Amino acid sequence: MTAATLDPHEHQLTPAGGKGAVRRLLLGPGFIRAAWMFCLFGAIGFGLVVVFRWWGGWQPLFDMQPITLVSLLVAGPLGFLAGIGAFDYWTYYALGFPTRAEDHSGHGARSWRDYFRVNTDHKVIGVQYLVTTIFFFMAGGFLAMMVRVQLARPGSHFFDPQTYNGLFSVHASLMIFLFVIPAFAGLANFVVPLMLGAPDMAFPRLNALSFWLLPIAGIMMLSSFLVPGGAFACGWTGYAPLCSSHQPLGAIFFNQGVQWAGASSIMTALNFLVTIITMRAPGLTFWRMPLLVWANFTTSLLVVIATPFIAGSQFFSMFDHVMHTAFFDPNNGGYPLGYQHIFWFYSHPAVYIMMLPGFGIMSEVISVFSRKPIFGYRLMALSLMAIVVLGFSVWAHHMFTSGMSSWLRVPMMVTTLLIAVPTGIKIFSWIATMWEGKLHFNTPMLFALGFLSMFVIGGLSGVMLGAVPIDIHVTDTYFIVAHLHYVLFGGSVFTIFAGIYYWFPKMTGRMYDERLGKLHFWLTFVGFNLTFFPMHLLGTEGMPRRVADYAPKFAGLNMFISLASFGLGASVLVFLYNMITSWKNGPIAPANPWRALTLEWQVSSPPPIFNFDEIPQVVGSPYEYGVPGAQHAILAPSPAHAVEEVTAP
Amino acid sequence: MRRGSIASLLGIGIVSGGIAAAVALAVPWLPVSASKEAGRIDFVFWFVVTICIVIFAVVSAAILYSVVVFRAAPDDDSDGPPIHGHTGLEIAWTIVPTILVTAIGIVSAIVLSRDDALAKNALRIDVVAQQFTWTFKYPDANGLTSATLMLPKGREVQLRFTSRDVIHAFFVPEFRENMDVVPGLTTEINVTPTRIGTYPVICNELCGLGHATMRSTAVVMTPVAFDTWLKGQSKAVTSPNPATAGAAVFTNNGCAACHTLTASKATGKVGPDLDKLPAYAQQAKQPLASFVRTSITDPNAYVQPGYPKNVMPQTFGTALSKQQLDALVTYLINSSK
Repeated sequence: MTAATLDPHEHQLTPAGGKGAVRRLLLGPGFIRAAWMFCLFGAIGFGLVVVFRWWGGWQPLFDMQPITLVSLLVAGPLGFLAGIGAFDYWTYYALGFPTRAEDHSGHGARSWRDYFRVNTDHKVIGVQYLVTTIFFFMAGGFLAMMVRVQLARPGSHFFDPQTYNGLFSVHASLMIFLFVIPAFAGLANFVVPLMLGAPDMAFPRLNALSFWLLPIAGIMMLSSFLVPGGAFACGWTGYAPLCSSHQPLGAIFFNQGVQWAGASSIMTALNFLVTIITMRAPGLTFWRMPLLVWANFTTSLLVVIATPFIAGSQFFSMFDHVMHTAFFDPNNGGYPLGYQHIFWFYSHPAVYIMMLPGFGIMSEVISVFSRKPIFGYRLMALSLMAIVVLGFSVWAHHMFTSGMSSWLRVPMMVTTLLIAVPTGIKIFSWIATMWEGKLHFNTPMLFALGFLSMFVIGGLSGVMLGAVPIDIHVTDTYFIVAHLHYVLFGGSVFTIFAGIYYWFPKMTGRMYDERLGKLHFWLTFVGFNLTFFPMHLLGTEGMPRRVADYAPKFAGLNMFISLASFGLGASVLVFLYNMITSWKNGPIAPANPWRALTLEWQVSSPPPIFNFDEIPQVVGSPYEYGVPGAQHAILAPSPAHAVEEVTAP
Repeated sequence: MRRGSIASLLGIGIVSGGIAAAVALAVPWLPVSASKEAGRIDFVFWFVVTICIVIFAVVSAAILYSVVVFRAAPDDDSDGPPIHGHTGLEIAWTIVPTILVTAIGIVSAIVLSRDDALAKNALRIDVVAQQFTWTFKYPDANGLTSATLMLPKGREVQLRFTSRDVIHAFFVPEFRENMDVVPGLTTEINVTPTRIGTYPVICNELCGLGHATMRSTAVVMTPVAFDTWLKGQSKAVTSPNPATAGAAVFTNNGCAACHTLTASKATGKVGPDLDKLPAYAQQAKQPLASFVRTSITDPNAYVQPGYPKNVMPQTFGTALSKQQLDALVTYLINSSK
């Protein structure tokens, strides 16, 4: 393709000298080349569609739907990726050109600029993931507060219906596909290879590509607000036929955005699987792996198996929209419930994709800050596997009132209720881990305790929803909104915060401000409960979700929730301030501030570019706190490590 | 474990369980129950809530106790005891939750099968949903249609749902009933109203821009009042007088949900004010009669400035018979003059 012929060209045209510098700026990988290649590819996509339509004699020649899809949402982003340099190495290789000598110039970060280019270092990619996802977390949070502005009073017309429906749709899509899932991928990207004693991920270039797909997906979803007709407005579930044939152009920005985010997810998951299976340090058997590694192993299994299903559902929906196929159009033999089955076959496992990595973080944090081995390690790992297996057999509990075959409800209810058992095992084991421990309430531990208590409430409301008769009453009401936020905010977001605070010293080499961290926790914890707990009541009393207006009897509670949600939003500013100032000026972090046993804490903060000078030899469990003389691994003494110890405060 | 710690654990458990129980009892969590099915669903609700409160009490007691008792002193850098697990305990917290959720499953399945059972003398009502109105048809009463759901108390009703466009959902919180209305499928639920009153019918599945306004009401009346209503309606619809028949078409098709029309005491604000029809026709530069007719059958042909396109259903042209349409047009022209 075009990229293929351009890149080697660029490679030969980069001699030293003033003229060469300009050429390198234009033709070398980077944002400038990404910009013009985006336009070039977009133009080619545009031309392809128009030429085909002209050739086939189709009217109108300039049909905005296929043109937008092919040019703006597929070809343009591919041009961006080629321009930023995500395909360079493979292109040289495929064309038989000499590949660049492996000088590791694209690996590791020496200045802040290295975070803004294709970088193959898993630690740089981890930070890129986290910063990007926090940006989209802020954007999604802002949209949520706009939703609360509209809902503060009944009968309000702050936003027109299309914009309002777009607000909550884009909010959910960003939070799920651009925050929770990739934030976990970012944390794991940084930590998992270190925990395995590996120098990097198995496929570093694939890893870099996975990251660069994300901003494309996020910008695509956000920019749908600028499209004529407005943003996609059918909820993040995008039910057909509303989304597939009754929506303006913005709907395909969702369909296609999910594809980019989903491709990123699948590539990362494959990378994790291969890394975890093949790159464990000698002695690191499966039963010696930290539970975070177990959690990402099981999550990756879920992603690899389930994510293609949402890709399918969104392709079918988009084909119905753009090409007038009839997968879900009942007027032409389509089957609307087919969409829901395919969609939830991914999107229920996705709930665990958004939860299992958090379970992993919790196991690390709770064990370290309780100074005790994790309670029932093997059952903790096995319960993760049980959730993976059971997770694929519960999807239709999202469809109890959808009109699907009614016999399907009882078996799906039974599997749904049973999945509470492995989840319960984990919660009881964490509590038993704390029992008789020496608890230190640093910020990560506070978020872990916040998670534990909030996730119990979310889990119990989940059991209620699992019982079909209760679900029949509260489905699609604010009870669901309350439940899902207790699970995804009280669950996933709290664990992400715990993970960010826990590994912040390792990532940046500096300590965060503990007082601000604690303030952030308490503001979040209180704001979260004030915002979401009253929603249970709204739901059981019968206020539907996804409405721009509601009965006057719900006015008081909604005003209360809106006010609380603004407080919750403000709490994120404390987090941001803490992160930015600590990253710049925080006290230098020692290699192992938490006295943890896992491998990532045995190297300097931040770790050297290739993590370990010599591959460590693992000799025992990673959680042997309180066992005299116990060691997880033996490391060759590293010069970087030694220097770090000296300079540590 | 020391005896003192068991006592304080129990104490915390009772307090936190007590607080949760107080929240459960003091707050009016569920709206009034107005159907037989609602009573059964409420039973499951409270059955599960009770189990949840007990679990919540146990877990929160353990967490709070740990936080208070096992807090490390500021200068304590020592580790806790290296306890790796306890097989008996792990088996217990696998088996006990399994038993509890199995109990919930059995109770739910029994209630579900009871609610699904259909009585022989059930009254059948066909419900048609479209963006953004509900129409209720009574096939046993010569296909009479109504925009409000009229129900006799004490008789089981089978509601059969079809959709003209996208997925909607029928939700009456007081009946505890929720069912999606899916294009291309017929879905159904059974309701046995037990309480006279007026309850909201809510669309509970995002169906487009007017989703929040897709509301109707369910009126439960005595069987006698219900029969009287049926007879009165049948008379009005077949009335040779276009004013009576047109008014019936207007109310029975839910026009009042979105439009204002003084003659019909309609005060909807979503769509154009029908008292101003002559002025609108002038603005559209069309004769009044054909303007009104086109606006019903092909609402996007001319949209009054200030109102959004694609909100008015485009299906009335086929849903109404020619007779009904004529009566409605005549009624609207006469009422707006």
